[in-house]
Amino acid sequence: MNLEKHIYTSSNSYSFLDVLKASLKGFQNSFYLANQLAKRDIKAQYRQSFLGVFWAIFPLLVNSLVWIFLQSSGTIQVTATKVPYPAFVLIGTTLWGIIGECINLTTQSVNANKSIITKINFDKEALITLGLIKFFFNFLIKIGLIILFLIFFKIVPSIEILFFIPLLFLSIVFFVAIGTLLMPISLLYNDISRLIPIALQFLMYATPVVYAIPHQGVMRGIMLLNPLTYIITDLRNLLTGYSIENPVFWFSGVFITAILSTIALVVYRVSMPILTERMS
Amino acid sequence: MGEVLIKVDGVSKKFAKDLKKSLIYGLSDVFSGIIGKKQDKSLRGDEFWAVKDISFEVRRGECLGLIGHNGAGKSTLLKILNGLISPDEGSVTMYGKIGALIELGAGFNPILTGRENIYNNAAIIGFNKQEIETKFEDIVAFAELEDFIDMPVQNYSSGMKVRLGFAIAAQMEPDVLIIDEVLAVGDLGFILKCFKQIDKLLPHTAVVFVSHSMPMISRVANQILLLARGETEYLGNEVGKGIDIYYNRFVDNESTVFLDDGILELKKVQLLNVKEYYKEVPVIKWGDDLIIFFKIIFKQSEELPLFRIIINDKEQKPVGIFQTNTLNSDLTIEDNQLNFYLLHEKIQLSKGFYSIDLSVFKFNSNNPIYRINNVLSFQVVHDEDVWPPFLLNASYFNVKS
Repeated sequence: MNLEKHIYTSSNSYSFLDVLKASLKGFQNSFYLANQLAKRDIKAQYRQSFLGVFWAIFPLLVNSLVWIFLQSSGTIQVTATKVPYPAFVLIGTTLWGIIGECINLTTQSVNANKSIITKINFDKEALITLGLIKFFFNFLIKIGLIILFLIFFKIVPSIEILFFIPLLFLSIVFFVAIGTLLMPISLLYNDISRLIPIALQFLMYATPVVYAIPHQGVMRGIMLLNPLTYIITDLRNLLTGYSIENPVFWFSGVFITAILSTIALVVYRVSMPILTERMS
Repeated sequence: MGEVLIKVDGVSKKFAKDLKKSLIYGLSDVFSGIIGKKQDKSLRGDEFWAVKDISFEVRRGECLGLIGHNGAGKSTLLKILNGLISPDEGSVTMYGKIGALIELGAGFNPILTGRENIYNNAAIIGFNKQEIETKFEDIVAFAELEDFIDMPVQNYSSGMKVRLGFAIAAQMEPDVLIIDEVLAVGDLGFILKCFKQIDKLLPHTAVVFVSHSMPMISRVANQILLLARGETEYLGNEVGKGIDIYYNRFVDNESTVFLDDGILELKKVQLLNVKEYYKEVPVIKWGDDLIIFFKIIFKQSEELPLFRIIINDKEQKPVGIFQTNTLNSDLTIEDNQLNFYLLHEKIQLSKGFYSIDLSVFKFNSNNPIYRINNVLSFQVVHDEDVWPPFLLNASYFNVKS
């Protein structure tokens, strides 16, 4: 009889390539499980609420409304935007929210499923897939809201909108990879998970999320140094009928993301048993 | 003999006692794991071996009973076997499909219905969609939850949850099965059902079974591994011997008086007819007469009481009670003292440790006046190793037709 063989041995006796292969196989094998868990989480989340999916967009709406009010009431003066300010803010905050969600995705998913990680042997890659599925579910709701805004403000996207999905996907992979690389540290020490929201909040003001890049001044310099600026600006441009401003940036982004995500997969797979040891 | 399905070779695992250090070591392990640096295998500061140099093999159709005291390293070894954590030294090789009954109902969400949770849990323990769908009816039937399958699991009783969890796990057809003490819950009917299911799996599975319940171990295991402080204390096919070593650590000569009306005082209890002692515990041979001597001083009345004497096995489970004395018994109190012995001829208790509880009652009433537990322990020895509490004398005769 030909039986599957499992060998468990000291974690550092594998080669990088072997681990990577195992990781990809893990994703493939665990897709059904991830899907099932995502269904479980989403169902459970909405079964316990009246407003249901509304909660996916509610924080977004409130946040945008605050800025729209601040701007329209003249409390703050922002650089004029190419598109109507409400649409600008809504798209900006949505995209910004995506970055945060992606960075936290792996850590959150692992944390939420600690109880099964410490008891059951399954392909842990399922947890990343699980996070992604849940993320896309929420994303669909948010993109629906954006489409409503675009229609309301009669913004017609150009043909370049076709780039939106691949570039958004690239950004998602990039930030999930960053989050996955941070996960082992942030799981062992909660300093990281405390730091991330603060850093993100601070960074938001250095990125054209709720206001455009000023034409001059210190802030302009800071924003141009901030790589997040290019991501947010270009993604928003694509949605609102403008062109990509920084093709070179995106090109190098592809390479960096490919390298980072490969490393992230290996780190994830290698660190999981070691983390399991500390979780139980 | 089936083929070897589990091969554990010199497995060791170290843990740090201090949390901060454990985290730092964890981080450095992750780092050296990624860059593939050879790690220093010796103990770093504050570390200890939770499991040290364990080796064994289990073939198809065999069951290894894994026993040991709390903190002996059973759970750690189990986690290594299950592939949850990797050993620091040595290797574990398993062949075929692995099933683990370590936690039942993992991944249940309390808000969702039993039906939905069957899909969740089954997916977690490794079923694919098709398998779940074909086995769904069996699962529900096994769990006996037909009427409640569309109710949220949070409204289930704990027994119902366990039943559902086991029913799902029982549908696995593994080559290697790892069982932790999950079967200790649920009502008797369900426990028996679980055992039946495990018995069905046993002949074509290699099983590692962890339990504190020696009756269960002796029932299923044909090999035993006794762990003590992470190391192998006994490994072999003599299940009874392993269990004895395990129990010997619990030998306890402390008796507890838990009722004393002040009417009498127990001065002395002693086993007569004893030729040797094991760690101060008297040893008698199977088939010898059991003679227990009592010396009691009466402080108040001189009314002859009734003695109820119970024999417990090592799990404190009563296995026998001696007939009580009657008014016709040859007992008399002289000078406030009662000296007597109890004789039980040709003891047929099987080998092992036993203890004796004494209760004293007033005649014609159910009022106990004195009660002492574990007043005396003794060991019965015999060549034959049997699990049931009695090894009964028997002769066999041919009936000619």
